Amino acid sequence: MKLYDILDLISIGFKADRFKTLMSSLGIIIGVMAIVVMLSVGEGIYSGVSSQFSTLDLDIIHVIPGRFSFGGPPARSPEEPAKFTDKDTKLLENIPGVKNVAPQTSAGVIVSFRDKNASATLIGIDPEKEHDLKSKISQGRFLTESDHTSIVIGSGVANGLFRMKISPGNRVRVYYEDGHMDFRVVGVLREEESSGIRAGNINTQMYVTHKAMKELLGRENYYYGTFQVTVDDPESVDEVVDRIKLDLERYHKDEAYDATTARDMLSSLMSILSMIKYALAGIGAISLVVGGIGIANVMMLTVKERVREIGVMKALGATTRDIRLQYLLEAGLLGVVSSIIGIALGIAVSFAIGSLAGLPSAIKIQSMLIGMLFGALSTIVAGVYPANRAAMLDPIEALRSE
Amino acid sequence: MISLSDIRKTYITGDAELPVLKGINLSIESGDFLALMGPSGSGKSTLMNIIGCLDRPTAGTYMLLDRDISKASEEELAMIRRDRIGFIFQAFNLIGRISVLKNVELPMMLKGLPRDERKSRALKLLESVGVSHRADFSPQNISGGERQRVAIARALANNPEIIIADEPTGNLDLKSTEEVMEILSGLNREGRTIIMVTHNPEITKYCNRVIRMRDGRILDQSSVEQS
Repeated sequence: MKLYDILDLISIGFKADRFKTLMSSLGIIIGVMAIVVMLSVGEGIYSGVSSQFSTLDLDIIHVIPGRFSFGGPPARSPEEPAKFTDKDTKLLENIPGVKNVAPQTSAGVIVSFRDKNASATLIGIDPEKEHDLKSKISQGRFLTESDHTSIVIGSGVANGLFRMKISPGNRVRVYYEDGHMDFRVVGVLREEESSGIRAGNINTQMYVTHKAMKELLGRENYYYGTFQVTVDDPESVDEVVDRIKLDLERYHKDEAYDATTARDMLSSLMSILSMIKYALAGIGAISLVVGGIGIANVMMLTVKERVREIGVMKALGATTRDIRLQYLLEAGLLGVVSSIIGIALGIAVSFAIGSLAGLPSAIKIQSMLIGMLFGALSTIVAGVYPANRAAMLDPIEALRSE
Repeated sequence: MISLSDIRKTYITGDAELPVLKGINLSIESGDFLALMGPSGSGKSTLMNIIGCLDRPTAGTYMLLDRDISKASEEELAMIRRDRIGFIFQAFNLIGRISVLKNVELPMMLKGLPRDERKSRALKLLESVGVSHRADFSPQNISGGERQRVAIARALANNPEIIIADEPTGNLDLKSTEEVMEILSGLNREGRTIIMVTHNPEITKYCNRVIRMRDGRILDQSSVEQS
């Protein structure tokens, strides 16, 4: 029997029973959809994240109080978070391979401009150590060591936070808890692509000197919130991290601190991404298995329904091979059609997720082919048993059946 | 053309052996129109299935067209059924989900004939049995007599030498019975060998031989003078 004749017969059957055909395909449709979504969204997240990380400096180590954790709840530890002071700055600066140590302390504050309030992040810095920030000034100037009432603001604060633009020379008032301080804006930073991972969004931050920060916070003991340590050679970053952890032990024996690199963050983020990917893959696999069982079930019913027809076909000279092929192809065709529908739905869902989450959509031809492959494969596997049952029917028994 | 010698068929169910055919010796000549009669349980259906290559004997030799069928493989039997034998059933056994025309095309599909050739031959066959106007109908929407004529057209699709008819008029009224028997008789005159199981003694008048079976054996054979 020729292939297109078999396909012709099968398609007549499908048309005759559209509802059953659709219902039996649903599991495969959903399974293929999940696979396409998994691959596309996974790819989208991956390319989105790696494009952010490509701008990330690999020669920077963040030293933080407490334990580093990313993506989950903050790691709890029995120790107090480390209290970083200038002693630590000196210590870090003396570690071989360290080029620069920039201590920062940040706080959530209310900023007031012409009687309008908004919240922002204020960061106390050491102007001499912030070469990177200094190079990002677009208007005005950067802070100097002696600035006490000057503030540098991110472009988002300057242009987006208030209805009016803030320019160098303007005055803002900053509230923290019960206290407040007045600052004169001396500089505005250039708008930066959000780096997402590192230290929040640079555009919505404001910078003052540690001296001013200490006064605003009004605390007797002023501690640094983080050190940004720059190393000479990005290759040696891991050694320096080890050394930092070891040396800080001297001052912070029973306190919690951690030193992390962009690569650490990258790898923990990637592990979260792969978890998401595996979850989607699991959903896809389960639906394909369930879908395959559904197809097998429907095929068994079909074979049962058509016992007599199969007997007739055999009497007319159909070989076991003809019958087996017919029912395998019937399952396979069901799989291919379901897969195409599943791929179409998968693309639609991926686009929807992509635009909702603001990720670049990355629907590759490979994703579709993989979806198709798995869909067709699971239906064909599901079709093997029913097709064999059909092929092995005894024509005499089959013709006798009602 | 067909020669059966000492054909036996025994069914085994559990420990019990059930002999259905107990040594059949029969030869059928090309051009015979043979009626196979006998009460139910006499083994005539089993014998017909063996002659029709749907079943194999437990013992004995079956020579069909100078070939020993008792030793043929399943695949070879299917080929013989497809190319050499046409089946007509009491219940018509047309496939309800495809059109009358497609039903007639089926054996040719199985043989792998090209579409156009298939279609024109199927239409010619339908015309020869007088139901070409039903070609695009579903078999479910035509009368019993028409169905059996479609089934005859299907049996003729690959131009077989032998036609096996299992009570072809069992589900038909008198008028359709006569029409169908006329068609079969015509096919016999063309030179086709017809083997027909029937309960109806009336229609044996179309046959040249009548074989009666009882209890797995051939009871008697009689030749009928054709009028």
